Amino acid sequence: MPNYRCPMCRKICSEHLDLARHYLGQTDKKHKDWLKTQGLSYASLIKAQVTEFGNKGYQALADVLKKTATEVTEV
Amino acid sequence: MKRELNIAVNGESYNFFIEPKTLLVQVIREMLGMKGTHQACDSSSCAACTVIIEGKAVKSCSILALQVNGKEVTTIEGLADGTNLHPIQQAFIDNWAFQCGFCTSGQIMAAKAFLDENPNPTREEIQMQMDGHICRCTGHNMINEAIQDAAKRLQSRDAAKRLPAQKKLQPQKWAQTAKSGKGA
Amino acid sequence: MSEFSIIGKPTPNVDGPAKVTGEAAYTIDMTLPNMLYGKLLRSPYPHAKILSIDTSKAEEFPGVKLIITGKDTPGGKWGLWRRFRELSDQQALATDKVRFIGDPLAAVAATTEEIAEKALDLIEVEYEPLPAVYDPIEAIKDDAPMVHEDFPSNINATRHIEWGDVDKGFAEADYVREDRFVLEAAHPCAMEVHNTLASYDKGTGRLTVWTSTGSPYFVQQNLAEALKLREGDIRVIKPHVGGHYGGKNSTMPDCVNAAILSMKTGRPVKIVFNRDEEFTTTEHRTAQHMALKLGLKKDGTIVAFEAKTITNGGAFTGLGATTLYLTGTFITMPYKVPNYRFDGVRAYTNIVWGTSIRGFGAVPSKYCAETQLERAAHDLGIDSLEIRRINAVAPGYEAPGQYKFESCGIQACIEKMAVRVKEKWPKVEKDAGIGYCAFAYMSGGIFNWIDTPYAYSSAHVKVNFDGTVDLYSQAADVGQGHNTVAAMICAEELGIGIEDIRLHMGDTAHAYTDLGAWGSRETLMNGNAIKDAAGQIKQKLIDIARLKLGENIAYDLVAKNKRVYLELRPERGLSYYDLVKDAIRANDGVPLTGTGHYTPHNKGMISPAYGMGIMAIKAKVDRETGHVEAQDVLVVHDSGQIINPLGARGQVEGSIHMGLGYGLCEEMPMDQGMLLNPEFVDYKIIRTRDMPEIEILDVPTYEPNGPFGAKEAAEATIAPAAPALANAVYQACGAEFFSNVLKPEKVLKAIKEKEKKDKEGAKPKTTSKAKGK
Repeated sequence: MPNYRCPMCRKICSEHLDLARHYLGQTDKKHKDWLKTQGLSYASLIKAQVTEFGNKGYQALADVLKKTATEVTEV
Repeated sequence: MKRELNIAVNGESYNFFIEPKTLLVQVIREMLGMKGTHQACDSSSCAACTVIIEGKAVKSCSILALQVNGKEVTTIEGLADGTNLHPIQQAFIDNWAFQCGFCTSGQIMAAKAFLDENPNPTREEIQMQMDGHICRCTGHNMINEAIQDAAKRLQSRDAAKRLPAQKKLQPQKWAQTAKSGKGA
Repeated sequence: MSEFSIIGKPTPNVDGPAKVTGEAAYTIDMTLPNMLYGKLLRSPYPHAKILSIDTSKAEEFPGVKLIITGKDTPGGKWGLWRRFRELSDQQALATDKVRFIGDPLAAVAATTEEIAEKALDLIEVEYEPLPAVYDPIEAIKDDAPMVHEDFPSNINATRHIEWGDVDKGFAEADYVREDRFVLEAAHPCAMEVHNTLASYDKGTGRLTVWTSTGSPYFVQQNLAEALKLREGDIRVIKPHVGGHYGGKNSTMPDCVNAAILSMKTGRPVKIVFNRDEEFTTTEHRTAQHMALKLGLKKDGTIVAFEAKTITNGGAFTGLGATTLYLTGTFITMPYKVPNYRFDGVRAYTNIVWGTSIRGFGAVPSKYCAETQLERAAHDLGIDSLEIRRINAVAPGYEAPGQYKFESCGIQACIEKMAVRVKEKWPKVEKDAGIGYCAFAYMSGGIFNWIDTPYAYSSAHVKVNFDGTVDLYSQAADVGQGHNTVAAMICAEELGIGIEDIRLHMGDTAHAYTDLGAWGSRETLMNGNAIKDAAGQIKQKLIDIARLKLGENIAYDLVAKNKRVYLELRPERGLSYYDLVKDAIRANDGVPLTGTGHYTPHNKGMISPAYGMGIMAIKAKVDRETGHVEAQDVLVVHDSGQIINPLGARGQVEGSIHMGLGYGLCEEMPMDQGMLLNPEFVDYKIIRTRDMPEIEILDVPTYEPNGPFGAKEAAEATIAPAAPALANAVYQACGAEFFSNVLKPEKVLKAIKEKEKKDKEGAKPKTTSKAKGK
């Protein structure tokens, strides 16, 4: 089963949505700055997530991570 | 200009020269160093500072010290008899009628003044009387129960005090009966 | 027959005599020789740059000894969320800008309080007012003014919790509804205001601080960071505290500035807030917006639940970020929620900040969840109590990755409630109704955002040659009765009486770390530490007794009634006092000691144990005036083994009082960041005449993680009061509310809206779906 690594740290998740959830729980500058390079912003993703029912913010980031997160095979 | 204050607090007389604007609670807490009377507001809303002035419960934050010139004041420190707690104090302990204890002095002094005037109050009368006191810890009901319990204890205490006088009458009655020769 | 001598028996407060005679000393009563009085200059603007501060005139005022501004402080920032250093956002005095009306920017030390106050008027400050923001929804907009520069969109903290498959759950639900709520701020209103007496010893460079706090350890930590001192060079003493309710966890400017002024003047300094400052500048219960989506099967079973919240954090973090997290967890309790999602944001705004007030997030969240559930029950034609019974958890229930209920009496509570309600209120009169709310709450938190390296609670017990006991711990009695509980636990474990125990609590110098009185942690966590410490001593006594009695090794020995004896043959035993002497003699004269610790492990994310139960309130509505009368309260409660029934009852009743206030009259209206009711004249709390009778029934369970089976008792009961009341009003007249504080005008408006809906034959606000479509 494939796993995916966070672009900015060692965290590995089996689902892109879980990786997105991990990602937006990180509040350090490194993580926030990477989002800017992808045309996203931490604040906008959080706002999308909290102002509507559903998973809008995480889904938007998950869609980006699908294209950018490294697939890893080790545990 | 300072003016002279003569005041008796808990049975002791004191003489001060104070600014006219000095509140009674300031005399009690700062000049006499009696810290049992507390202040919890600045708007005369909470009654934590209640003391007794010649039988009446009075908020000591809302009266100038000079207004009680020549009068007798009782604070919480004056309630117990040495190491013997007043029945109201004991009732508060036994009924868990305080938690943080900050409003307790005011509650007890108000209860004392009230029970001295109305020794057998109903629950509604207690609630009416104590409605001016803020308590943030207890939710009030246990305080009211303590006051009802205190009323009973005071009545028992007062009844017990009356007994020795009645006992005195008894021997005379026996003697008269014996004298007259009438049977027991 | 109880197996305990002391536990479970009504026990008077060990601090009773001191409190009823006025002898109990609170920080506000304390003075030291040569003491100065401090006052803080506070910003009149909600958000402004500080261009200049001129203290020269004030410094010349006779009696003024020192004035400091931000640049004169050590400059350390502090906070309680130390694991995220950027959230250590508090500082002694504002430096570049002020962030709320009341933010302090200068401090004065003078020979009298009056002189210090007069000096404040002589300090000249030039401000450049900045645009301010007061509502969190406005604060997170892209163009909102930034309260703290490193936090774009003013996002202070976020929280996401998810388990199961929420979207699938909603798809499978027969009934789905969405509701939005606005919850008001409320103030803890401790009767003793925040105040501190600080004394710096120039010779040793050590600081001693007496302060009205719920956690001497937190103050020690925070002062070390604020003052750039070592924790060990700071001694914090908690005298009697005149109320806390979660509003005295953070270290506040009275404490830090009293310390700085003392360090600089070399004299003790005392700072006391007045009641206005207490209302306007100290922490309160967080206001918030909340949106809930609930999915049920047509039999009332919860299949999916989603909660979103945006909370009004205010200008600093405090423990507000923890409150955000717990809002998202308590809202599901005590129900089985197979699919759940929570998203929360705490926004910085230009008001004084919200934090960990009693109930810690459960109060607003349960208000929303339980009033929503009530409406759903009505729409589905299910009885209010029945829908709660259907969804209530059983022992062993686990919310994946979050919490697990070990002792869990909620079903028994609901059963007992069903029987008692019929007996107590067989008929309900016109315009009256019965409202329910089920609840659960933690017994102390497992999370460690405070980033302490220490065990969460410790205690040290020393037994002297004459059998008297000294018990040391930093645990805080703030009025909840913990001193009495601590003595009871120690006495029960050692088999002695409370009268043999002397308490040394709440002092960081000669005691062992405890994280303080918040989240209902003291009984379970400090209780475990005390039981551990006393248990070590008990074992030493038992070992000596076993040696002297010479009985078969298979027989068990117990310590009770000041003896150690064979459990099966009580006549075979030895006196506690003799054994103590033997133990000390046998150990080269060293007094008997035990040091106990407790930190929960492998108990999920929130707490090792949960108190729970169900509350019912009977209320009547006056349709003419809108006045709501809370007539009667019935609560059935599982608190495990109750240590002191007297204290537990006191706490339950006090929490209901506060919860009813949240539902009826307590609010903090602000205009441009200025609080409009900063005094008890205008901040309404429930008085004795409006307080209903309360009946408390107990469902005893045994909590394996707690001392003698105990767990939290009575912080849980604050959350259900307001929703049960709102549900009672709903039952009485159909009026619906989407905010707390049922003021008469609001109730009248809601009644009219209901009448209008009835006339129009309006359908309920839901998406009801037939299964399979």
